[in-house]
Amino acid sequence: MAPLRAGDVISAHGLGGAKDLPIPSELAIAGAVAALVISFTVLAVAWRKPRYDAATSGRPAPAWLDRLVSSRALAVAGRVFGMLVFLYVGAAAVFGKDSLINPFFGTFYVLLWVGLVPASLLLGPFFKAISPARTISMLFAKVSGVPEGEGLYAYPARLGYWPAALGLFSFVWLELVYPHSTDLGPARLWAAAYLGIMFIGSALFGTTFLARADPFEVYSSLVAKLSVWGRRDGALVLRSPLANLDTVVPRPGLVAVVGVLFGSTGFDSFRESTAWLKLVQSLSMLRIWPDTLALITFSVGVALVLTVATMATGVSSETPRRALPNLFAHSVVPIIVGYIVAHYLTYFVEYGQQTLIQLSDPFSRGNDYLGTADLQINYWLSAHPTFLAVTKVLAVALGHVVGVVAAHDRAIKLLPPRHQLTGQLPLLVAMVGFTVGGLYLLFAA
Amino acid sequence: MSGRGLTRLAPLVMPAALSLVLAVGLTACGSDDAEPSGGTQTSDTSGSTDTDGDSAAVTVTREGDAFTPNGERVELGVDQTLVLTITADEAGELHVHSTPEQEIAYDAGTSEHEITIDRPGVVEVESHEPDVIVLQLEVR
Repeated sequence: MAPLRAGDVISAHGLGGAKDLPIPSELAIAGAVAALVISFTVLAVAWRKPRYDAATSGRPAPAWLDRLVSSRALAVAGRVFGMLVFLYVGAAAVFGKDSLINPFFGTFYVLLWVGLVPASLLLGPFFKAISPARTISMLFAKVSGVPEGEGLYAYPARLGYWPAALGLFSFVWLELVYPHSTDLGPARLWAAAYLGIMFIGSALFGTTFLARADPFEVYSSLVAKLSVWGRRDGALVLRSPLANLDTVVPRPGLVAVVGVLFGSTGFDSFRESTAWLKLVQSLSMLRIWPDTLALITFSVGVALVLTVATMATGVSSETPRRALPNLFAHSVVPIIVGYIVAHYLTYFVEYGQQTLIQLSDPFSRGNDYLGTADLQINYWLSAHPTFLAVTKVLAVALGHVVGVVAAHDRAIKLLPPRHQLTGQLPLLVAMVGFTVGGLYLLFAA
Repeated sequence: MSGRGLTRLAPLVMPAALSLVLAVGLTACGSDDAEPSGGTQTSDTSGSTDTDGDSAAVTVTREGDAFTPNGERVELGVDQTLVLTITADEAGELHVHSTPEQEIAYDAGTSEHEITIDRPGVVEVESHEPDVIVLQLEVR
């Protein structure tokens, strides 16, 4: 037995070594009980008149802060930062070694995919501000003399977020199902196809396309609605995350986006459970088929449960029943974020450090371009499993509270008075189901 | 959020937060320092697991492309030694996906190998070619 350098491993295993221990059953049960108690407490004691209104909510930010945030200098700095990272990591992807020590993988699967959640929570629509796809599209438009943000056609409103849902699904399939996700070829191909589609789409439909179809931008901007940063009539305002969440604009496909984001994270826990592992390894076919089926089942399942639960209510004539799922989909976003924290915290902190170290040597030649090559990874989190488990359950429970309050406020705004209490029950049950299901997977997988 | 908003949220948040803190507090106490257990008896395979104080033992059998056990969980203490007895009809490699990774090369016939993991977590022991997860070590 010999310790290996990570680069020597030819692995179909994906990124990262050891995984988190399952959370103790007591904590899982505590979290589940808390979710139930919170839900019915909200229903019983919360306000009876809607409180959140995008047109009035939020406190204007100090003038200097607004000037800074809206300044051209900050916008340019964000774009330059995004392009520098893109070119640097792009060079590693094109010229680097086909090995797990290539920082392209860590940047793509960990810093970008997982990191955009904390970045957007803290800073608002982070990815939109640095997106290389957006920057390059803006440069194209400038060179060809197209007015900023415009395309040849108007983006079809009925498409809504559906392209982003598809893009997100293709990403999670690559990450979680495809056995060669950590080979350079396939990952690079995915990134190239993504960029190509973004360029063509934004040429056709302008930057609206990026706001609706770019999986990273849609994900980031959705999570940013849980930050304190908002805008009202163009001016920067500070909002409570709950008031900010209420400003999510419902569009077709939002339920699908939410379904893929929550379903795929659930599937990621599920696929590592012993029961599933034994099942797929005893089948005669390749693992990719049952895994694909399970990923679809999880994603569609979440979207379906949400659709049914939001539509199972009496409605008034102003809001058609079929509009309800997208009008309530925002309330699942905090549950997703809570579960993402629980699921990816160690991975992000520890593999993120690993990636920072690898980034110093993009071509695996022993370089130290960034001066980070000799840093040591801090494994404090892994070494404290009890702290980790409690943090996970608290994150899931906090996400649940915010989600339930958001759904309650929306229900009393939309539903006719005599259906307000009964009308939100199915959704409440669905949310408890999501949270308890998530906790169960953290416990059992 | 305005001051008024906070006051109106208070009756809602307080009981919820309190119940959560209570629930977590009450249950976390009992569960905290579970004993660093040895290997557990696994049920349905010929890959048997024994525990004997400081070390645990597992038998892995390879016949062609088939491995026993098939993804079984084995509980292991931090720094506890796991003795793997590998009986194989052809030579190969097992990868231990700890951080950093470890590798076990085995020959045809029966051989003994030792693994220790120095940090809590779930570590997969995987064969490559064919890609099969043989064991999951639950290290605590």
